[in-house]
Amino acid sequence: MKIKLTTVYVDDQEKALRFYTEVLGFAKRSDFSQGPYRWLTVASPEEPNGTELQLALNNNPAAKAFQQAIFQQGQPAAMFFTDDVRGDYERIKAGGGEFTMPPTDVTASVITMLKDTCGNLIQLTQLARY
Amino acid sequence: MNNREEYTPGPAGGARIEKDGERWTLILVRELRHAPEKVWQALTEPAHLREWAPFDADGNLSEAGTTVKLTTVGAPTPHISEAKVKRAEAPKVLEYNWGGFDMRWELKAFGGGTRLTLWTNIGHRFIAMGAAGWHICFDVLDRLLAGQPIGRMVGPDAIKFGGWQRLNAEYAKEFGMETPDWPPNAPQRQNEGGKEP
Repeated sequence: MKIKLTTVYVDDQEKALRFYTEVLGFAKRSDFSQGPYRWLTVASPEEPNGTELQLALNNNPAAKAFQQAIFQQGQPAAMFFTDDVRGDYERIKAGGGEFTMPPTDVTASVITMLKDTCGNLIQLTQLARY
Repeated sequence: MNNREEYTPGPAGGARIEKDGERWTLILVRELRHAPEKVWQALTEPAHLREWAPFDADGNLSEAGTTVKLTTVGAPTPHISEAKVKRAEAPKVLEYNWGGFDMRWELKAFGGGTRLTLWTNIGHRFIAMGAAGWHICFDVLDRLLAGQPIGRMVGPDAIKFGGWQRLNAEYAKEFGMETPDWPPNAPQRQNEGGKEP
């Protein structure tokens, strides 16, 4: 068994695709549809066969309620790891990313948080080296 | 009689696309050798839909104003959308939404049979796949109405079927578009973002 995929709910899959590829810099991995259903995933170009992130439409009340509740609590819907959180912060900000928290030292890591334009907060994490 | 194994779809045909701003509509026309009343039943009754349609319905679609849950068959994660029947004029016009898509069916009596037209929204890159899928659904519907059901062919049953793959390529060619990468997890092609328009 392997962990190969995780999911975030988004309120618009086209907008999500733009944000996760053009703003964050991930690459589209799979994209197919069956009627109104659309299976859409992205992966990191640093790890093309690594874990995929599914951008799932929040087309049901439970998904919407969950997404809104954790957003209002300031909880990230997904967390990505980087070796250079400050560099990514500058790059993404220059590309139009809207941050809610600048790079901040916390226990064992530096984190920053931004909106994904589709109803979520996304956290970037750089583990501290002691 | 069950001749599912022998079924081979005919060539692509009867489909066209329209664009309104960013919104694409796939229009499919099929002539069926059965009366509009019989086709109407197959379009609206759950037990009939289960034999040919790409979704299951938990209620009858034949009354305007009702809400019916439609379950996409074979989706990789459960996918249920609430459909609201906007218009139902038996046996002529049926309109409802399937998730974010508007579905409009028109039935016209034609030479003892029915000329069936479907208007459905679709994402641009999925037009050929959608046309291929509906093509097979309509073939299955035609056989069902003739009393020779071959069983629903949607989702994985359709996609791994050579006839679907051929139709997907034919419709893509007809509409002048590339087929999406298939299988979906295949590595990105080298020339992606390259010379192709």
